[in-house]
Amino acid sequence: MLNFIWAVMIFIGVVTGLLLGRVSEISDAVLSSCVDSIELVITMTGAMCLWSGIMRVAEKAGLVNSLARLLKGVFRFLFPGIPKDHPANGAVAVSISADLLGLGSAATPLGIMAMKELSKANGNSPVASNAMVMFGVLNAVCIQLIPSTVLIIRQQAGSINPSSILPNVWIASVSSMLAGIIAAKLMERRA
Amino acid sequence: MIDFMSKFSVPGIILFIVLTGFIKKVPVFDVFVEGAKEGARAAFDVLPVMVGILAAVSILNASGFIDILAGLVEKPLSLFGIPAEVVPILIIRPFSGSASLGLFTKQIKVFGADSYLGRVISTIMGSSETVLYTLPVYFGAANVKNTRYALAASLIASYFGMLVSIYICRVI
Repeated sequence: MLNFIWAVMIFIGVVTGLLLGRVSEISDAVLSSCVDSIELVITMTGAMCLWSGIMRVAEKAGLVNSLARLLKGVFRFLFPGIPKDHPANGAVAVSISADLLGLGSAATPLGIMAMKELSKANGNSPVASNAMVMFGVLNAVCIQLIPSTVLIIRQQAGSINPSSILPNVWIASVSSMLAGIIAAKLMERRA
Repeated sequence: MIDFMSKFSVPGIILFIVLTGFIKKVPVFDVFVEGAKEGARAAFDVLPVMVGILAAVSILNASGFIDILAGLVEKPLSLFGIPAEVVPILIIRPFSGSASLGLFTKQIKVFGADSYLGRVISTIMGSSETVLYTLPVYFGAANVKNTRYALAASLIASYFGMLVSIYICRVI
């Protein structure tokens, strides 16, 4: 699927660029995107080291297990098939909590680590398990409580009450999350 | 209050975890370094995926294709009560975080932050993610080749959320 989308994006982009005479813009953009990726990854490497280190401490202190036990009921429905004592349970619990709290720089690294644990529980297969797809979908919808970047931009744009949109954001996020869960659950039966 | 909580959450969580570990006699620094090594390796695995995704997105953005597509779908979408002004953000949002944030910053000044359109795009930006960045990075890091229905389900969820954003701002 990603192979197809990637090829289509490049094909459409280059052909449209040729037709509109924007070839030099494209070539500048693609080269500077490589610099952007390195910057992003370097920024993320620090955060990933910090958070995976801190999470290892939390694991050894027994905190991750307590969190996983707290979320057990929800998880049995969302991520069936993960063995009860597998580290993936804790990793997923931590990652989703970080998303909810809007920990920004921490959420992505923790999510990636949780996906790796889920993959281990799936025998490192190249085909995603139902649990991995569900986890991917939950991360592709936004479950953050306070979208701080958006609030700051609203303030700078002269909003009288930037956080007045929060109820709308929550309703939209929850609807989107439920739609994702339902779509994933329906599609897992067919695929 | 909310401001303080969001600022304190990161240091607060770090303090809580390290303190609990210390009290439970975990060799906190040794364990931290051991975990951090794994984090460094994971970040390195992500780099090639990131280069591929950002390259394709940047080509698409620079080509002007998004504007053409927006022009084409504006009319049919307006039948469902979707304002033409928000169509570009609807299209770009799942593909590129930086491009949609740039567009949002520009548009919100034009529309006015507290106008209907300003609130719609704020709600969309606050309640959605960059699907075509998140999924490849997560699955790529886990070395998954076949993501099955992950993309389809994520896009359904994402667009459903954006539609709700457009309608909910009429009511509240």
